[in-house]
Amino acid sequence: MATTSELDRVSMVVLRYMRGPVFVLIVVYAIGITGMALIPGRDADGNVEYMNLFHSFYFFTYTATTTGFGEIPSEFTDEQRLWAILCLYMGVVAWLYAIGSTFHLWKNPHFLLALNEHRFAKKVRRIHRPFFIICGFGDTGSLLARGLSDHWMRAVIIDINPERIKALALRDYRVRMPGLCADPAVPKHLVDAGVLMPNCKGVVILTVDDEVNARIAVMSRLLNPDIHILCRSTRKRHIEHLCSLGNVTIINPFEIFSQLISMAITAPRLHNLNACLVHNPKAKLGEPIVVPTGNWIICGYGRMGQWLYQQFVRKGIKPVIVDPNAGNVEGAAMVINRHANRESLEEAGLEHAAGVVAGTDNDHDNLSILMSVKSLNHDAFTIVRQNRHENQIGFDVTDADLVLQSSLTTARRVLKHLISPQVQQFVDYLRDQGEDICALAVQRLKSMIGDEPPHLWHCCINSTEASSVSEHLDSGKSLSLGQLRRDPHDLDGLIACMPLTIKRGEECMMLPGDDEPVLPGDEILFCGTEHSEVLLSATMNNAYTLDYLISGRDKPRGYIFRWFEDRGETATTPT
Amino acid sequence: MNLERVVFGFVIILALAFTFAFVMGDIDNASHHNVWLLTIAILINLIATGLKLGDRSQVGALLLASSLVVDVLLIAARVIWVIDENQTALGPSPESMANIVSLAGGALLASIVTVVILVSDTLMSRR
Repeated sequence: MATTSELDRVSMVVLRYMRGPVFVLIVVYAIGITGMALIPGRDADGNVEYMNLFHSFYFFTYTATTTGFGEIPSEFTDEQRLWAILCLYMGVVAWLYAIGSTFHLWKNPHFLLALNEHRFAKKVRRIHRPFFIICGFGDTGSLLARGLSDHWMRAVIIDINPERIKALALRDYRVRMPGLCADPAVPKHLVDAGVLMPNCKGVVILTVDDEVNARIAVMSRLLNPDIHILCRSTRKRHIEHLCSLGNVTIINPFEIFSQLISMAITAPRLHNLNACLVHNPKAKLGEPIVVPTGNWIICGYGRMGQWLYQQFVRKGIKPVIVDPNAGNVEGAAMVINRHANRESLEEAGLEHAAGVVAGTDNDHDNLSILMSVKSLNHDAFTIVRQNRHENQIGFDVTDADLVLQSSLTTARRVLKHLISPQVQQFVDYLRDQGEDICALAVQRLKSMIGDEPPHLWHCCINSTEASSVSEHLDSGKSLSLGQLRRDPHDLDGLIACMPLTIKRGEECMMLPGDDEPVLPGDEILFCGTEHSEVLLSATMNNAYTLDYLISGRDKPRGYIFRWFEDRGETATTPT
Repeated sequence: MNLERVVFGFVIILALAFTFAFVMGDIDNASHHNVWLLTIAILINLIATGLKLGDRSQVGALLLASSLVVDVLLIAARVIWVIDENQTALGPSPESMANIVSLAGGALLASIVTVVILVSDTLMSRR
């Protein structure tokens, strides 16, 4: 196994470093002890007496370490004292040298690196629950880690930047997330991070460099042919290459971002539901933001702007583009090849515009565009792009209608995918079904959970996640979703949760009704509150509670009462 | 109302009451402790243990464990009583009487734990 080589390296470095000091200590001890044993001393009566080897070792031990218990067993002669002085200086110097070397070793960066890797690999090997590997701990990576921790999901983190790994150690996550400062593209580090472990559920690659991401993805696929890979990639060349690896989910921040904006414009209810599902603190369930259609101005025509522009055109909106490097854009209402400022915005027709997207890749530009818009046309709907998470407070105080932060939207999308791929399927389904179905679903959800933040969880009907349910089903009895959702404290009520999708084999059912049977192997995506997850999982794993929910009465638990009941039943049933 | 709960609750609280009745009195005075009370407490506790056999729930397992502790301690006390019965005209000597009663005291503690678990489980289920 490659992981054990780290241990060998650490012990090897220690041994090599300590070779000199240990050798010096042995030689000094040998000289001191031999000398002491050879020099004649006198006992209390004045007879010549030699110190034996054990006594001289004892004497040297306390002298060399400067403890100094005195002249034992009997008072020393002058010759012995002379030798004792020599012993003292020799011993102290040897010890100082040994201790100094040890300190030196602890300051050696290579040793620390090897030690860190060794500790990291050990921590990872001790994880027995499912976990993910996150490569790249920038804005997106740290937001993702926070989201995973909120859902009690584990991750190990590799980043090449030591500052970020140091910052990781200070986070107050609900679960432990070991971090390693290393290049994730090096296969050894991926192995240390547990890419070969059976409970590693996926590799999430989020560094900013597409080239590096592709390398990590290829390396992970080579090491583990079955592992699921989520890879950030923005260039077509890389995306095509990555897709050929199989079982890879491409995360394109620009695409996700523009999809979200287009969702906000064309499907406000779904956008609202989606925002609530990903715990956006500003969104309130059932109160969508209505984005006006009309004349739009897009400031910033980089990669993000181009995606956005396509989304707008697809919806039949012809926006005005303001960007110094836009060039000539086909189909745009107007292109202004200047920086977005007061004059260029006026020229773009800001006074009559329905909305403005401040979408440059510079947060200060975006904020100043926002200020100009607010002074020229206060009613215009503003969508602003936040590039860096550290500018959060600045964006919080603006009264922009919609603040979209690429790293946050990306992290939320990845998190949804890691909780369950069914979440995105559900959102896509609602988008295809239209706003009315979405409104119904939101209404149903709201009637169940009230104003509490919605909490998503994924449950697989198998013997580990739902032991009593799978036992019940294995015995040939049936069970419906409605029965499962009954409240054990009040049989007429329901637990505040709503099944969103059921994945059965290849098929994925959306918004299943209460009559829908539960079958072994079903993967159910629930939406409710954190409390309802606890309640439901208690039902799913306690045979007595489940039985009570189905039959409506407590079955006897002990052998004796069960025997009584069986007798009663056979007596009453006519044969 | 669940018949099993009623019967089990009755038996377990009765066992606690009998154990308490036996423990009451000076620790080393044989005339303060009735051997019949001890014997009845053992019997009732054995019944309670039997009633819990077969319960697969967590609380059931805990109740079974604690009532087994009571059984072991009370039976140990009764065995000492049998061995030392003829030490004096009144029964066991003060030393062995102290042993018997302290064992029964331990059983009383375990009995109280059982009742606390039973009551809190009943309150938790809120049906």
